[in-house]
Amino acid sequence: MANDHLWKVAQEAEERINELAATSHPLGVDVGTSKIVAARRQGKELQTASQLNAFIPVPYSKFTEKTLTQNAISYYKDGDELVIFGTATEHFANMFNAEFRRPMADGLLNSKERLGWPVIEAILQMMIPKARAKDEVLAFSVPAASDGRNSALTYHEATFRGYFQSLGYNAIAINEGLAVIFAELESENFTGIGISCGGGMCNVALSFLSIPSILFSIAKGGDFIDQAVGTVVNEHATRVKMMKEESLDLSKAPKDKLEKALHIYYQDLVEELVGSLRRAISRAEKLPKADRPLPIVLAGGTAKPKGFREMFERTLRAEPMPIEVSEVKLAADPLTATARGALIAAMYEK
Amino acid sequence: MIAGAKAPDAGPLPRVRPHATTRTAGGPEEPAPARPTLARPDPFVARLEHVSARISDPAAKLRFLRESLAQKEALDERVQAVPVAPVRHLLQRLLGLDRIQHLLHRRDLQGTAADVAGPATARVSGVAALALVLALAAVAWSLRTAPAPAVVPAPGTAVVPAAAPGSPAPATVPPTQGVRPERIWLVEKSATHELWSNGLRIDTSLVVMGAPRAFRVFDRGRGLQPEVFTEPVGILFHTSESDVWPLDAGFNENLRDSTQRLLRYLRRNTTYHYLIDRFGRVWRVVDEGSKANHAGNSVWADGERVFLNLNHAFLAVSFETRWEGGRALPITEAQFAAGRLLTDQLRQRHDIPPQMAVAHGLASVNPKKRLIGHHVDWARGFPFAAFGLDNAYRVPSPAVELFGFGYDDEFLRVMQEPWPGVRLAEAKLAREAAAAGLTPEALRRQRQELYDAWIADQVRADEARTPVAEDTAPGAGATED
Repeated sequence: MANDHLWKVAQEAEERINELAATSHPLGVDVGTSKIVAARRQGKELQTASQLNAFIPVPYSKFTEKTLTQNAISYYKDGDELVIFGTATEHFANMFNAEFRRPMADGLLNSKERLGWPVIEAILQMMIPKARAKDEVLAFSVPAASDGRNSALTYHEATFRGYFQSLGYNAIAINEGLAVIFAELESENFTGIGISCGGGMCNVALSFLSIPSILFSIAKGGDFIDQAVGTVVNEHATRVKMMKEESLDLSKAPKDKLEKALHIYYQDLVEELVGSLRRAISRAEKLPKADRPLPIVLAGGTAKPKGFREMFERTLRAEPMPIEVSEVKLAADPLTATARGALIAAMYEK
Repeated sequence: MIAGAKAPDAGPLPRVRPHATTRTAGGPEEPAPARPTLARPDPFVARLEHVSARISDPAAKLRFLRESLAQKEALDERVQAVPVAPVRHLLQRLLGLDRIQHLLHRRDLQGTAADVAGPATARVSGVAALALVLALAAVAWSLRTAPAPAVVPAPGTAVVPAAAPGSPAPATVPPTQGVRPERIWLVEKSATHELWSNGLRIDTSLVVMGAPRAFRVFDRGRGLQPEVFTEPVGILFHTSESDVWPLDAGFNENLRDSTQRLLRYLRRNTTYHYLIDRFGRVWRVVDEGSKANHAGNSVWADGERVFLNLNHAFLAVSFETRWEGGRALPITEAQFAAGRLLTDQLRQRHDIPPQMAVAHGLASVNPKKRLIGHHVDWARGFPFAAFGLDNAYRVPSPAVELFGFGYDDEFLRVMQEPWPGVRLAEAKLAREAAAAGLTPEALRRQRQELYDAWIADQVRADEARTPVAEDTAPGAGATED
């Protein structure tokens, strides 16, 4: 009797989603400090796209503008400067041996950056089309609330919501860690711990059957590593980032000063992350007792270097945890996990 | 615009087992967690997972899980409506709801709704409640696995309008999303209303003046202080203790008439500064610069500052509802939303900290009998967290801690058990008694004498500066609320 009822709910849910897949175009957007990633489903296919959430202003000249146009580089004119934004920024920053700038910091809109919102708007215009139908759902990621940042989070969320609504979407916000769980722990019925290690911060969610029990964030991410390493090795953070993404292997002993510094600061970040997780679980008042060990899934660009998962696992193993952990795994595609999870949330909300 | 890309497949990953409980030197500050143990799977959760595992599409799976839990939430809300706690707990156990509470009322994708407020607490009253109890008990076993039953509220039953299926927030919690002004300011003012920038609309057509506000504050160590204050320092939440009609078009006339009758009574007696009626309309009844006769004999404290008899010091906000069956009948969604806006506005304008907005039931005392809980409105169930306030139920009761007040059997009959702050205050009192080498009773007597002395000081001071004295003497002095 009981199963009959649940099967009916399951059947209706599948029918509804099939119908939606044919008739609507929900979008999932990961609004990250480092990258903005969008995901949508085209029939059974999943499509994703990303842009670097960064920009670099260069002095205006007709020649520069012509070069940018000829090479299909994204830019806009701002007074006597040309603002190059998106993925091409990194290339130009290296070319000019200059630091690129971020429209966001620590997971939220960067209030100190005058060009922050105009650049984000320009990036989003490249990536997000107008809604094709009324009430098309778009789910975008937001970090977890944390002490002293709630009003900034409210502003951040409302600004993005307003923008997406202006494109005709029914915009909903989803916690970044929970989005990772939606994307990666489907086989566990969305039960486990999702961690998104981004450029500005790390977001953590623990959920049971898709219901979040713990959400928190730490304001340390890839940018912190890049800047800290850049300071000690006297390199631009932009260059550190490039080298980190190209060749860093945390499972091997460091072979130079730069790698040594990267190992040190990665370890620092992981220790803070694991320590925060341990404390959050220990302090949780209403955390239910799990009936099975919980998996941990790691996502985000900062989790991408080879050996990161092992470093995290080693650190986790060094101290007892208040819950049993079944496995630590890396997301199938760490860079798109949050956007894919947001897409699932958008389809659910529709 | 979105380039095609397919995620690579992840290979098999090693499993991490729980670690030894030994600790390395220089470990974190937290105590070593106990070795984790696993719970037995709950039958409902096990069935849910079994069915869910067969769904291949992640979005369909998410929809299935959340809609199944939504049905349990609907059932839980009906059980929460049962006013008698032991019966409520029994039903929760019979229906298996006690084991899945952590999964209910928390479906917000940002995970915020559950943090700001617990489950929707629709309550029912009187005969209707009894009928519901019996009906639920009779069918409890057959309901264990079925979808939520449709319980039709009987006349006289007050319910919070239910949330639509899939609603991201509990029924009584309006969405917290959207832009909020950093500051709240007066947008528009006419002879009959005020509009504030946070959306608060106050009907001022019936406002009356009372005696001007003027009060003194006690210092824990030094007693009554000479300075006279004229600005309110806190908010006291009340229930109007008036008729509560079902929210149904058939009772339109009763709903309207009962509010109007109540307003006439409140104006005549200058009872509350504000009334929030069942439709969420905010009425200013007594001018804010005046005292209202709402608090009677009452005690509250904030750090070193102690307030006795709060008519002057606190603003009164009353919800049109009634205390019944050991709790306030549920307020409507509109009252809830209006209450939050009004609280925000008052707190900002008068610089009232979150710990100074409390329930009347927590402050009310009977000085002659040395008892707390003389009035018990909102002595349980006020949504402090959802209003952005400190949980006053967990604040050590100042009347118990500072003045040795207690409670009697009648209090226990109504409340079943004191709120946590009473227990905390009793424990503090016991510790202080032990430290002073006294029995707790002896210390209580000392503190009760202190209360008498302070009240006498307050009466003398106010008599010397009439007309403030009218509500400061214990018992007869404090205007009835």
